[in-house]
Amino acid sequence: MSTGIRVASLEDIPEGEGIAVAKDVTGTADDIALLRDYDGSVWALDDTCTHETASLADGWVEGGYVECPLHSSKFCLKSGEVQGLPATKSTCPHRVEIRDGEVYLFPNEAP
Amino acid sequence: MTRNVDVSGLVDTAGGLLDRAIFTDDRIYRQELRRVFAPSWLFLAHTDQFHKPGDFFTTYMGEDPVIVTMDKHRRIRAYLNSCRHRGARVCRADFGATRNFTCTYHGWSYDLEGKLVSIPNRDGYPESFKAGDWGLVEVPHVDSYHGLVFGTWNPQPVSLRESLGDMAWYMDAMLDHDPEGTAVVGGVHKWVLEGNWKLAAEQFATDWYHVNMSHASALMLLSPIGKGPKDEIVHRTGRQYVDPNGHGAGFPVHPKNRFDARTVHQWMDYDALRARLGDARVEGPLTNGHATVFPNFSYLPVNGSIRIWHPKGPDRMEVWAWTIVDKSMPPEVREAQRLYNLRTFGPSGIFEQDDGENWSEVQAVSNGFITNGVPLNYQMGMGSEREDGRFPGTTSELYSDAAGRSFYARWRELMNTPAWHEGGDR
Repeated sequence: MSTGIRVASLEDIPEGEGIAVAKDVTGTADDIALLRDYDGSVWALDDTCTHETASLADGWVEGGYVECPLHSSKFCLKSGEVQGLPATKSTCPHRVEIRDGEVYLFPNEAP
Repeated sequence: MTRNVDVSGLVDTAGGLLDRAIFTDDRIYRQELRRVFAPSWLFLAHTDQFHKPGDFFTTYMGEDPVIVTMDKHRRIRAYLNSCRHRGARVCRADFGATRNFTCTYHGWSYDLEGKLVSIPNRDGYPESFKAGDWGLVEVPHVDSYHGLVFGTWNPQPVSLRESLGDMAWYMDAMLDHDPEGTAVVGGVHKWVLEGNWKLAAEQFATDWYHVNMSHASALMLLSPIGKGPKDEIVHRTGRQYVDPNGHGAGFPVHPKNRFDARTVHQWMDYDALRARLGDARVEGPLTNGHATVFPNFSYLPVNGSIRIWHPKGPDRMEVWAWTIVDKSMPPEVREAQRLYNLRTFGPSGIFEQDDGENWSEVQAVSNGFITNGVPLNYQMGMGSEREDGRFPGTTSELYSDAAGRSFYARWRELMNTPAWHEGGDR
């Protein structure tokens, strides 16, 4: 069983914000956005909004959702399900673990 | 066909007379937007409103909506707040932090450099469409002076510092107490007044005269209980700075000039201020007084009030007012200055209400046909302008219309001069 990829320290991600991890690190088709909610939890979604070319890591994270910085499409942090227009397609979630203040990513594993 | 009015006959600075049409005429008002506001350096914001990339504040230059923001290189820039597609504002918030400015009409989105970065249904546009041609219109020149950010649409302006001239010496009396500079406390108060914007700008440039009459009740309120107003308050002597670019400032001069708010007064180190700014400033424009930076930015050193008079048609203005404090002030001194400002010159301040009432009164009657044709008197202090060797530039008496005459002379000059955008068409 994989131990995940160590991609960041928890303190690198301010609450309510995100950072993008490049696809050559994650081995996925798209970069992955690490998104930290105000309850301290960290979630991972495919970084590119399903509507237009925008980085969800630049978006606004709050209350279990991330809002795209361009056109305000919303996605569930846990499931990646699209919550509101203009996007109509859901995005892909990935599993995250936090151990000793370090963030480990499990690309393509369900949270 | 010319659409411009020659205002020479409406402003007689040699005779000290003003025609009231300059406060009421819609054609003159629209000419002001073209020839007074568009070419001038206009106040935008305070640098303390921008700490990280994406922090923004929305305001107006004349009637043009603008976004002031800090870009990724931490440079403060300003853009016309109007989408290049159908023209709606791309930022509707008063202030905040953002990554992009997205139009809520169709979703065109611009980055902090004003570049068009997202166009929904991009494939629907022809090949000839280049996103690079459709960025936000940028204000070509933005500069700051001791924390005050100004911008101008003029593509080839004289520098901000040069346009301030000797006025900068008087501004420093308020902005440069503290080597750390100034900070903004609280938000921006905004209120609407009936009255042409010049009535307010002119008063702050030139008018201590109204203080004892208009503010009599407020002055009584500030007098110690059981004592009448002091003669030395009513019969103040001082100077009024008269700037050739239309700026103006008036202030009582006295060796014991003090800040009115007790906590602020007690915190100030007047000896250090004398060493830093010189005796003339500490005994003059440091504490009490009034000032306007042409055309529509004004301030009051006594309480840290800085404000802009946004024009909203010939007969209406919006006042936007900030409170600034010295950065070194501890919290209780900042709070004392904030409260003193609020009580005296906040929207319901005991002095501010008197001023607003006067401007609205003057405006309300000026549309009468006969009234409009009766000129107003600006003759006080005629011939009193001189260089006194103590205060820089030309000064007049504290009670004088001299800076007002200079304000209107500058206004007349700009109104009668084709601006860069007219291409020589008068």
